[in-house]
This record gives sequence, C-alpha cells and structure tokens, in this order.
Amino acid sequence: MARKPQDNPALDMTPMIDVVFELIIFFVVTIHQDDIFSRLNVNRPAPSQSTSSQQEEDNNVTIEIGGSGGINGRIFFNKKLVKRSELDQHLRDTARTRKSTPIIIKCTDDSPHKALVDVLDICYKNELYSVSVFSM
Amino acid sequence: MARKPQDNPSLDMTPMIDVVFELIIFFVVTLVEAQKKDESIYLEDGKHGVVLTPEELPAQHMQIDIAQSGRISMGDVTLLPDEIHRRVKEKKAKWGEFPILIRADLETQHKAVRKVMDACTSAGIWRLSFMAVHEEKSQERPKLRKERGL
Repeated sequence: MARKPQDNPALDMTPMIDVVFELIIFFVVTIHQDDIFSRLNVNRPAPSQSTSSQQEEDNNVTIEIGGSGGINGRIFFNKKLVKRSELDQHLRDTARTRKSTPIIIKCTDDSPHKALVDVLDICYKNELYSVSVFSM
Repeated sequence: MARKPQDNPSLDMTPMIDVVFELIIFFVVTLVEAQKKDESIYLEDGKHGVVLTPEELPAQHMQIDIAQSGRISMGDVTLLPDEIHRRVKEKKAKWGEFPILIRADLETQHKAVRKVMDACTSAGIWRLSFMAVHEEKSQERPKLRKERGL
C-alpha cells in the first residue's frame, strides 16, 4: 500500500507515539524498584569528649551496646541486660515522663552495627530524638 | 513541506531509530549516575526513622558506605578515615553544615563506624545520620538476605 500525497502538511505522530509507549512499557518493566530508605539522626560528641563520662546527669538514659551476642549484640538499659521488647517498654516509660530526655548510647568496638540501628529505631519509635552516640 | 508520494512502500525507520537511541543513551547515563554505591551492603530495618526522599535530603550531602568487612568507601572508591576527614573538611568549608549519611552494613563492627564518625566530628560535623530500610521493595535485598543467611 503506497502512501498517498497528503493535503495536510502536518506530521503523522502515530508511529512515534507507538514507539514512545513501547519504550515506556519496556523501561517500566525492566527498571528495578528501589527500597525506601529512612535515616536515623544522632549527635556525635567530639572524640576527645567520648572518653569522659563526667558530664552525665542523673536523668539521662544510658544504653550500652556490647558485642559477643552474635549479630544482635547485647543491649544494656541503665546497666541492666535487656531484650529489645523490654528496651521498647523502658523507653516508652521514659518518653511518657519527658520527651526531651537525652539518650546516651555507648557502643563497644566489637558491637554489631545492627544493634545500634535497632536501638535508634526503638528511640525514634518512642519519639525520643535527642540521641548521642559514644564509643567505648 | 508536504510529503511526496512514495514509490517504495517500505516505512522509513530512520527517525524512529534516532529517537530510540536518544532514549537508550539518556537512561544509560542516568542509571549509571544512580548506581554508584557498594552493592554488598545489607542495611538493617528502620521503620521509624525519617523517610529519605529526594526532597527531604538536600543535594549538598555526603554518603559514606561501610561494608561488612569494614571497608569504607564513597561512590565505590575505597577511602581511608584520613581521606574521609579531608573530604568532609573541604565540603564544610564550601557548604557549611551539611548532612552526612552513613550507610553501614548490619554486620559491620562498631570499630569501623567509629572511625567514620570520628573522621566527621574532627572535621566539624556533629550531626550524623545512619541509613536504614523503611520499606523493602527491591528484588536485590531478599536475594542478598538469602545469600548471607540472615
């Protein structure tokens, strides 16, 4: 079927639109979906300060994270070994008393990063946002 | 310019191929730009963190990757803590206070994270963020989890 001469000089857009749709479908199918990420903000005191624990106040909450607990590490809430669910409960109580309570997290060198992120997530869950991370 | 009647009934593919190539080049370029990161890192879940969106995070930020082995990298280039310190210092002089995002594997020892944090604080950035997964949507994450037996 040969093309007929056109009276109308306008460009025929149909094949172009077809191609564009084809490409859109191709890319929608092939482009992989990415995870949705979140961020957990912390304050990091200066390295020189991290060794001195003199400035701690009584109303601070101290959470210590140690290694040797496998991938989950070991979490201490005010020196007491706790499970994640117990930590959640303790922090809920803390948040009920005062939302702005400073949380101090101390990590040992061999503690897994997973434990730190878990603790931070639990803090965020209970709307405790003033979190500082120290290293031991 | 009106079209002339064609003797040959075959379709002229040239403009179509041009458009296709243009699009392929566009996507290849943009994808390469977006994929500069350490693919081996498996992030911990963090459902309650601040959701990271392009609007939420300013363009002037820095992302530091820490692999399971403790390898520190930025945009897939391995760096020493000293080099991180230097880069942060340079950026701070240029941008002022800016967000630093630490993308560390969940099995990384705190030792490596500590090195990065100290490199940042000694360069004058005190507020740091840890990256976590708000919602899993990719195909890669379940694959990585299976491979590593997590």
